[in-house]
Amino acid sequence: MTEYLIAIQDALPYLLRGALVTIALVLCALILGLILGVLLAVGQVYGNKAVRALVGVYVWFFRGVPLLVLLFLFYFGLFSLLEINISAFTAAVIVLGLISAAYQSQIFRAGILSLPEGQFKAARALGMSDTRAVLFVILPQALRLSIPGWSNEYSIVLKDSAVAYALGVAEVMARAHFVASRTYQHLPLYFTAGVIFLVLTYLGTKSLRLLEEKVRIPGYSR
Amino acid sequence: MAQKKEVLRVKNLTKKYAQKEVLKDASFSVDHGEIKVLIGPSGAGKSTLLQCTNFLVIPDRGRIWLEDREILYTKKKELHEYRQKVGMIFQDFNLFDHLTALGNVEIGLVRVKKMNKQEARERAVAELERVGLRDHVAKYPAQLSGGQKQRVSIARALAMDPSVMLLDEPTSALDPELISEVLAVIRALGEEGMTMIIATHQIGFASDLASEIIFMEDGAIVEAGPPAKILSQAECARTREFCAKLTSLY
Repeated sequence: MTEYLIAIQDALPYLLRGALVTIALVLCALILGLILGVLLAVGQVYGNKAVRALVGVYVWFFRGVPLLVLLFLFYFGLFSLLEINISAFTAAVIVLGLISAAYQSQIFRAGILSLPEGQFKAARALGMSDTRAVLFVILPQALRLSIPGWSNEYSIVLKDSAVAYALGVAEVMARAHFVASRTYQHLPLYFTAGVIFLVLTYLGTKSLRLLEEKVRIPGYSR
Repeated sequence: MAQKKEVLRVKNLTKKYAQKEVLKDASFSVDHGEIKVLIGPSGAGKSTLLQCTNFLVIPDRGRIWLEDREILYTKKKELHEYRQKVGMIFQDFNLFDHLTALGNVEIGLVRVKKMNKQEARERAVAELERVGLRDHVAKYPAQLSGGQKQRVSIARALAMDPSVMLLDEPTSALDPELISEVLAVIRALGEEGMTMIIATHQIGFASDLASEIIFMEDGAIVEAGPPAKILSQAECARTREFCAKLTSLY
C-alpha cells in the first residue's frame, strides 16, 4: 500500500501537468466543435437542399468513423500528404473538434427545432433578416436549451481526449503510460489517471450546471 | 379619393398547399385610419390572408402595394423594410421568451432600426406604458398573463411605427377575463387613428370598431361591407347564417 502511495506521490506533479494538457486539448476541441457545430446546425435546419445534404454527409462521416482511425488518417495521412506541419497536439484538437462538431450540431439542431415556429416568424415580422433572427432570437434560446446535452458532450470529449496519447500528445494517459512502463507501477498510476479524469468530469459538468442555472430564463420551466 | 389615402392594397392573393387552394384571389384595400375586420369560420383563410399580406407566407400569386408602392418581395431589403411598416400581432403572441417585456420591444429598434440603446430603451418604455404595462417592463414572458403578453406584443409592433397593423385573432388564445384588456388597447389604437386589419370572432367589438367587415369562407372573400349591413342584412345567405351564429355566441 505504502509502495502505491509513494508511486502516486512521485508521479502526481508529472500527471497533473498532463492534466493541464488534457484540459487545454478538451477546451480547444470543444470550442472548435461549438463554432462549427452551431454553423452545421443552422445549415441543417435553415439551409437549402444542397447545404442540408452536405451537413448530413459531414455528420455521417465524423460520427461513423472511429476516433483512432480519424486521428491516424488526419495526422499521418492527410496532414503529411498536404505537407501541413502541425504538432500532434494541434492535430488532436482538430480531429476531436471536427468529431465533436458533428455531435454538437445534432444537440443544437434539436434545440433549434424544439423552439416554437412562431419565434422565427415573429422575428421576421419585425423586419429582421433571417440571419439576424437566427442570431438574436433563435440561437440565444436554442443554446440555453442545449446546455444539458452539451454537458454530456463535454464528458465524452474529455474521455476521448485520452486517445490522443496514440499521437504522442503528453496528456494524462500518455504520461501515466510512460511512468508505468518504466516503474511497473501500473495499478496506482492508471488508478490516478482515472481519478484525474473523474475529477475533471465532475468539475466540468458542475460548472455547466451552474451556467445553466445562471442563464435560465426566469419563470420558464423546462 | 378626395381625402382618403390608401395605405395598403392587396390584389388577387392566391396560395395553394399541396392541391388545396387555401386562399383564392383575395383582394382588398385599406385607407388610412380604417379598420377592417375579417370574419369567417376556422380554416376560411383569414390567417393565411394576413400572413400572405406581409409575406410570412409567400403567396403563389398576387400583388401588394403599400402607400402606392408595389412591394417586390423577392428583394430582401425591400421585403424587410416593408415588414417594418406592417405590424403583426399573432394569436399566440410569439413573444421572445428569453427577453424581458422591455427587451421584446427594444429588439426591433436596436437590431432592425439600428437605434442606439438609450433611445431604444426610452421608446420601448413609452410603448409599454401606452399599453398599460409600465410596471412590468422587467418581467419575462413566462411571468406575464396572456393578456399582458398580447399587450407586450402590441407594444413591440407599435415601436416600429407601422403604417398598418395586422392582428390575427389577437384574443382567441386568451381567458375570457383577459380579453377585455386587450380589446381596450386595440380600441384605443383605433381611436388614435391606427390603420388595422383584424381577424376576430369578437363580433360585438368588430361591429363597434370596423369601418368594414369582410366575410371569408373556403379561402375566398365572399362579401364585404359596413358592419350594419353585413351583420343584419348580408346579401349572401352563408354570411347571414355565420353572423347570426356569431352574434348569438359573443
